[in-house]
Amino acid sequence: MAALVRPTGAPRPNNSNTNAPPPPNYSPNNAQRDPDSLAGNMQNLNLNRQPSMPNSASRPSLIGQAPPFHSSAPPAGAPIAPPPFSRPGPPPAALARPAAPRSGSPQPTLSPATTPVRSTGPPVGQPLSFVSRPPPGSFPPVGGVAPASGPPPGPFHTSGLPSGPVSVPPPASGPRPGPGSFPLGNGQSMPPTTAPGRLMSNGPPVFGSGAMLGGPRFPPSGNAPQPPFGHPPTVATATGPPRTPTMHSMLGTPAVSAPPGPVQQAPPFSAVPPFSAAPPFSAAPPSMQAPPVSPYGSQTWPMQQGQSPRMFGMPPPPLPNQSMATISPAVGQTGSPLTGSSKIDPNQIPRPVPGSSVLIHETRQGNQANPPPPATSDYIVRDNGNCSPRYMRCTINQIPCTADLLTTSGMPLALLVEPFALPHPDEEPIQVVDFGESGPVRCSRCKGYINPFMKFIDQGRKFICNLCGFTDETPHDYHCNLGPDGRRRDADERPELCRGTVEFVASREYMVRDPMPAVYFFLIDVSMNAIQTGATAAACSAISQVIADLPEGPRTMVGVATFDATIHFYNLKRALQQPLMLIVPDVQDVYTPLETDVVVQLSECRQHLEQLLESIPTMFQNSKTAESAFGAAIKAAFLAMKSTGGKLLVFQSVLASTGIGALSAREAEGRANISSAEKEAHKLLQPADKTLKAMAIELAEFQVCVDLFITTQSYIDIASISVIPRTTGGQVYYYYPFSAVSDPAKLYNDLRWNVTRPQGFEGVMRVRCSQGIQVQEYHGSFCKRIPTDVDVPGIDSDKTIMVTLKHDDKLQDGSECGFQCALLYTTVYGQRRIRVTTLSLPCTSMLSNLFRAADLDTQFACFMKQAANEIPSSALLRVREQVTNLCISSLLSYRKFCATVSSSGQLILPEALKLLPLYTLALIKSTGLRSDGKIDERSFWINHVSSLSVPLAVPLVYPRMVAIHDLESKKEGDESPFPPVIPLSSEHVSDAGIYLLENGDDCLIYIGNSVDPGILQQLFGISSANELPTQFVLQQYDNPLSKKLNDVVNEIRRQRCSYLRLKLCRKGDPSGALFLSCLVEDQSPNGPSYVEFLVHVHRQIQMKMVS
Amino acid sequence: MSEMANTDPEGIDGVRMTWNVWPRTKVEASKCVIPLAACISPIRSHPDIPTLPYAPLRCKTCSAVLNPFARVDFTAKIWICPFCYQRNHFPPHYAAISETNLPGELYPQYTTLQYALPTDSAAPQSLPSPVFVFVLDTCMIEEEMEYVKSALKRALGLLPDNALVGFVSYGTQVQVHELGFSDLSKVYVFRGSKEISKDQVLEQLGLSVLGRRPGPIGVGGYQPKGVQMGIPNAGVNRFLLPASDCEYTLNTLLDELQTDQWPVPQGSRASRCTGVALSVAAGLLGACLPGTGARIVALVGGPCTEGPGAIVSKDMSDPVRSHKDLDKDAAPYFKKAIKFYENLAKQLVSQGHVLDLFASALDQVGVAEMKVAIERTGGLVVLAESFGHSVFKDSFKRVFEEGEQSLGLCFNGTLEINCSKDIKIQGVIGPCTSLEKKGPAVADTAIGEGNTTAWKMCGLDRSTCLTVFFDLSSSDQSNTPGTVNPQLYLQFLTSFQNPEGQMMLRVTTITRRWIDSSVSPEELVQGFDQETAAVVMARKTSLKMESEESFDATRWLDRGLIRLCSKFGDYRKDDPSSFTLNPCFSLFPQFMFNLRRSQFVQVFNNSPDETAYFRMLLNRENISNAAVMIQPSLISYSFNSLPQPALLDVASIAADRILLLDSYFSIVIFHGMTIAQWRNMGYQNQPEHQAFAQLLQAPHDDTQLIVRDRFPVPRLVVCDQHGSQARFLLAKLNPSATYNNAHEMAAGSDVIFTDDVSLQVFFEHLQRLAVQS
Repeated sequence: MAALVRPTGAPRPNNSNTNAPPPPNYSPNNAQRDPDSLAGNMQNLNLNRQPSMPNSASRPSLIGQAPPFHSSAPPAGAPIAPPPFSRPGPPPAALARPAAPRSGSPQPTLSPATTPVRSTGPPVGQPLSFVSRPPPGSFPPVGGVAPASGPPPGPFHTSGLPSGPVSVPPPASGPRPGPGSFPLGNGQSMPPTTAPGRLMSNGPPVFGSGAMLGGPRFPPSGNAPQPPFGHPPTVATATGPPRTPTMHSMLGTPAVSAPPGPVQQAPPFSAVPPFSAAPPFSAAPPSMQAPPVSPYGSQTWPMQQGQSPRMFGMPPPPLPNQSMATISPAVGQTGSPLTGSSKIDPNQIPRPVPGSSVLIHETRQGNQANPPPPATSDYIVRDNGNCSPRYMRCTINQIPCTADLLTTSGMPLALLVEPFALPHPDEEPIQVVDFGESGPVRCSRCKGYINPFMKFIDQGRKFICNLCGFTDETPHDYHCNLGPDGRRRDADERPELCRGTVEFVASREYMVRDPMPAVYFFLIDVSMNAIQTGATAAACSAISQVIADLPEGPRTMVGVATFDATIHFYNLKRALQQPLMLIVPDVQDVYTPLETDVVVQLSECRQHLEQLLESIPTMFQNSKTAESAFGAAIKAAFLAMKSTGGKLLVFQSVLASTGIGALSAREAEGRANISSAEKEAHKLLQPADKTLKAMAIELAEFQVCVDLFITTQSYIDIASISVIPRTTGGQVYYYYPFSAVSDPAKLYNDLRWNVTRPQGFEGVMRVRCSQGIQVQEYHGSFCKRIPTDVDVPGIDSDKTIMVTLKHDDKLQDGSECGFQCALLYTTVYGQRRIRVTTLSLPCTSMLSNLFRAADLDTQFACFMKQAANEIPSSALLRVREQVTNLCISSLLSYRKFCATVSSSGQLILPEALKLLPLYTLALIKSTGLRSDGKIDERSFWINHVSSLSVPLAVPLVYPRMVAIHDLESKKEGDESPFPPVIPLSSEHVSDAGIYLLENGDDCLIYIGNSVDPGILQQLFGISSANELPTQFVLQQYDNPLSKKLNDVVNEIRRQRCSYLRLKLCRKGDPSGALFLSCLVEDQSPNGPSYVEFLVHVHRQIQMKMVS
Repeated sequence: MSEMANTDPEGIDGVRMTWNVWPRTKVEASKCVIPLAACISPIRSHPDIPTLPYAPLRCKTCSAVLNPFARVDFTAKIWICPFCYQRNHFPPHYAAISETNLPGELYPQYTTLQYALPTDSAAPQSLPSPVFVFVLDTCMIEEEMEYVKSALKRALGLLPDNALVGFVSYGTQVQVHELGFSDLSKVYVFRGSKEISKDQVLEQLGLSVLGRRPGPIGVGGYQPKGVQMGIPNAGVNRFLLPASDCEYTLNTLLDELQTDQWPVPQGSRASRCTGVALSVAAGLLGACLPGTGARIVALVGGPCTEGPGAIVSKDMSDPVRSHKDLDKDAAPYFKKAIKFYENLAKQLVSQGHVLDLFASALDQVGVAEMKVAIERTGGLVVLAESFGHSVFKDSFKRVFEEGEQSLGLCFNGTLEINCSKDIKIQGVIGPCTSLEKKGPAVADTAIGEGNTTAWKMCGLDRSTCLTVFFDLSSSDQSNTPGTVNPQLYLQFLTSFQNPEGQMMLRVTTITRRWIDSSVSPEELVQGFDQETAAVVMARKTSLKMESEESFDATRWLDRGLIRLCSKFGDYRKDDPSSFTLNPCFSLFPQFMFNLRRSQFVQVFNNSPDETAYFRMLLNRENISNAAVMIQPSLISYSFNSLPQPALLDVASIAADRILLLDSYFSIVIFHGMTIAQWRNMGYQNQPEHQAFAQLLQAPHDDTQLIVRDRFPVPRLVVCDQHGSQARFLLAKLNPSATYNNAHEMAAGSDVIFTDDVSLQVFFEHLQRLAVQS
């Protein structure tokens, strides 16, 4: 969105972090200025029309996740304050408005970048009650944004409830369109302490859903809520409001609805308030659900929890600190699972609830690590010692003192590191510290970098390393006296002493050569198939448009080659009158046809390049070459860029059939021989041979990062070829089956994001841990040459590396355990930097602490990656079993050691992990673990998951579904495009409805059979479901419904940083089946229904308890 | 030269033999010292040679062609083959034959005639077009590059429109330019470091017949005419286009062509993969029908340093091999490279294609290694110092010129030899390859390309000359019952494709007389051709020097000469002063003296490349030219007389003379001291000294005459007495005056600083040794 303002600016977010001028790019503000424009752009994108502008616009927005959050934020606030909302009755309109109030004024203090931009202020929000609020200066960035949030704030304050962060909507007139802003503001003003306990209180999530059930279906709910909220900010407030209402209604209704439930005990799940003592934030997590989750209205959770226990007369929580959800005892007690299961009210089982408000997360509070909000929530980080959880988060926010304790808990201990994660636009950029030639101060023993947890002693003359405990002399010119509190007096002025994430300018000693230039080499398949399906044309056009987005400057180099059975390079040197095509015909033993001139400075060859890209599709028009020398082409391109390294972007359309690394159509062979196929199915998910792996290692060694854009209509053996991107820090994009109609826009947007997202080259990463813990293994997309380091020729904001940890000693209870990730890399502008991210977590010997500090999203991401790792080497059934067992074992541990008091008939879930069964079920039914999927799709999934970030992990398997046929029915003034989220169950899918389901990559639009033709006409320009095109391009028609749909889609694109592959699904079609298979709560050939699964888990736990 | 101008020693047949009468027995022959050999110019043009438009009649047993020496029974319509005595019936269409109605081939004066062979049922316009693939080295300095580009462009303009042209450039890698691709310049790049087989080349260019993948042919690209052109593989016309179609493309391409862009480290030679480039070009031509006339024209600017065929390492401190290195076996690349080029030669010969080499460099480029491929395919070779030098420029132009000056480049020649019983063929020295066609006439021992009665000459031209060595069967002739034919017959059948693409067969049948040398040695003496003998000896010596290790050429020549003089001289034993030689032998010792001093024997003053170059030309030129190479001609110009031949002796130098030395490879115009001074003072520009101007001009005019007919164009050196360039003359003169006897010399003459013996001393020794018992 931001981009609108400055198309070119869209640029690389990453730099912004590191480089001076970051903020402008992000500023969500732009979005506000012209909220529609973005959508418009997107629209354009679809059509693949507009070259630079639109695109740029859309992408940038992606970067700043802010916009989405804002919208959602307001709602979040709402839930928190139960009283006001609880009543279905519409809250006063005034409340809704509040957002506006934001004293626009406060902003000034805020990060200059953001505020300045948005002068217009929140279009939407009206400054009502809040106006008065002094937005805390401290939360600068926030303020500007939140127009929408209006409603929430009011309630909260009054209620005096919870966490400051959540509730308060300080309306910053400024930058943030949405809600995002307030949270911050409030944070300060509100008293965080008291409320939390309550908020947190475990409401059975069920209720939330229950409400929906019992009460009015969506439409109604949607309506109800809205009034209170008034106009949400331009962006997507919609989700928030509707949800809240639902919740309330639930509260009201639950009583009603619950009864219907079979069991005497009305609420199957009772949640105990999690931690009474917990800091405000602890409560927050549920409520905070961020973008991904947000749709689910996380806020409902807390509210209900708090109330539910009482209402339903659940047994009080055994321990104040424990949080749990119980499953109806009936099941357990009767011992008959079947009946039990049937008796569970599907509407009352735990489901994710989207959080809608932005909250502010201080990484440390009271000199203690502050557990981060859920990865999927919308939050703004204030780094005051620990790193932002975006960069690094741990599966458990307290570290078990012993390996035994960890084992007992059944939980994994791992860090998920995403060094280039996109920050919230309102967050302070990472500060760059230049130590000059001497380089950053480091521990002389473990080489850990200076960080806020290094303890200076002896008047600052020495410091103790928090990682290895060694005492070092302070370098002379770095000496500073200590203050009375034992900190260095300059600690607050030095980012490396007060920030969890800083970036050091690398000195000479960190360079084995000059920092490499930004090299982009495009390799395009021009085999007959690629030409005929339009893949080549799409690739050329995408590249041609993306050239404008490459970093400016003399250090940007480009090269182009095409390949079929031979490899064609192009000499783009300016001196030549026209490009010269150089063919490398020997695909068994390739070489580069020129030492220079194949990779040329962009500024020197722009014209040639454009001309060439334009002519490539026609040049090969009549080609009859069906074969593809994919491997050889990569090798050849590698040789051409060997001296520098860089990014190699490969567009491939057919199976590599000749030359080095040729592959066979294994899949077909497998089918032909069914018996062996069954047994060895997973073998097809392993690389065919080692050739490509060896090549990949060589590529990585020379800092070449390969991205694959697979535009195919047939089997291409992703299992084999994905080894290359995975080893070189690249990415696989999979367009299957490629459609020349609907895919080019996505291809272009993916490519654009690929080159503009924050990224670094020739990176080396290492994670160091305090004594007692050590790194066990790294997982992700990189090259592993020595066990301690990770070599990443390219790393970007979409790459996450999982670092599993193990104990090698006992830790001291009460002490802190430090983790430091150091990434040495080169920016796209050719500066060598070291990004150091430090996290210090408390150690505990209490199992209950561990469960309380469990980070569900991170743990789930961890499970998912481990499962993905397993798939190629084990039989599918086994993997599924393992996944289920992982889930069961931690729940069992909790049940056994922390919830001993409760009746054995109850399924008691730790509050933090209550969604684990649902996610586990979703994982079992996911593409990767389904047996009916195509091999390539599964391989792609496996590969995708291996570097997937935490916030995107859950949505991938547990997509978000919304109804779009009634988008318009929302009340006026509610401008949030986002409709309420629907549970993934076919019960909620009506034949007369149109539903959109998205998982961050794919977006399915399901059209029921009895949809009102008028709606079809409005949305798709067709009059009956029979006319649905198979290849779909979203278009915006001149009617509000269509516009809303586009808004929704664009909103999703922004949130996911992904353009989405849109596909229409119709009942009775294979496409319809595809859609239905995404409804993970349903029973299907791939697994049980959610209820059945819960019963299964419960029984397993019971059995193990007994044994 | 002038004295030779009016004689045509070769006559209509273009055959000269060392002995024009042959001793009867092998023993006698070996006593003659000089081998029985014939130097033939298979397609030398001669106005009296008729062309018959039909196919020749062949003997059904020995397949010799009907010729004037056949006995014909007109009534029985039978002819008797003079070689095998087989009686052959004339075919029906010869029914009208009679003593007064002879077909051309029976006319006694037409011992040489040509048959234009009808092409198989194809229309006349379907004559195959000649193919030229230019292989251009790009590892050279810009200046040279410009020279060679302009030479190439000029050549392109001269090519006949129907000639197919291909273009390959190379440096570190080989680039095959696809001329038929219209969208943009397109080249196939082959790595220079890897040997590549013909099949691989075809496969990689998308030309292989099996599973060939038609490459992308641009829209509006060149229409396939492959079939008409005799090219079976339509794909190849992506690379080979008629000159008229691709001249523009090629000119543009040449304009844009840069020198090799691969970096050359300090102290290194450019990385140049001549070997691979040539094999790629050869592979490309492999896609043409075998038998299509095609030449690879290689323009090379330096030594091959990369891949197969490399002759030296890239390290500059490593000099290119010298004769000394070769002698000491200290040339690590030499044998490998030779092996590589031998294989290349085999491939080219099997395809019937020619390799021409135009090398211009100050250092060696590897001619010595490439010699085998050039010579066996009958290619042209020119060695110059620079592409800007006239030796290259003018020679290169000559290749493509038509008309009088044309070289008459022909393709696909095959030579077959039939000979009378008892004559055996040892082999051929010259630009050809043995076809290994065995037969009764094949001798046990081979000289040069032997073990056959048929040879392939992929390329041949009007001046191509081959030396055929004969032997006699060891069986006793007297055993032969019946009439002993006093005549021997030799028939040379040369089929070839002329520049227009027409297949021709030239038949030369000659007869010579057997004599019993023990009975009548005088006749034998009369039949001696000393010039031919000298050339044959030079060729044989060269061959031996190349093929036999530690062969002492000087000794071998000396011994032969002494034996010859002993056998044919008149003398009293042990009395040197009594020694005289028959005039038929009188010039021979001098030839030998000069041969011993020539670059062919005294190789150490030259690089192996130069030696190889000289020898290739020695082997392929006609006798007169070859004789000049051995013993240059010297003409003196002075005021008082007409230009006249001068003794090849330092004594011929005089201050008031201009000397013109023609040593074939170079022509030296040498101004005596006085002449030079006059010229420097500009007398020639003054009207009253027109005579002087004419005198100055005369040698230049004569030079033009010489240069006009000569290929390669000789290097012209104009120098003054005592000037540094004068060494080109002095090196060739008999050192009758050296610093040892300088005091005896008359003023104005010159001395040569050498320890070499003079002709006089040489003769003295020869006489002494010849008369020794």
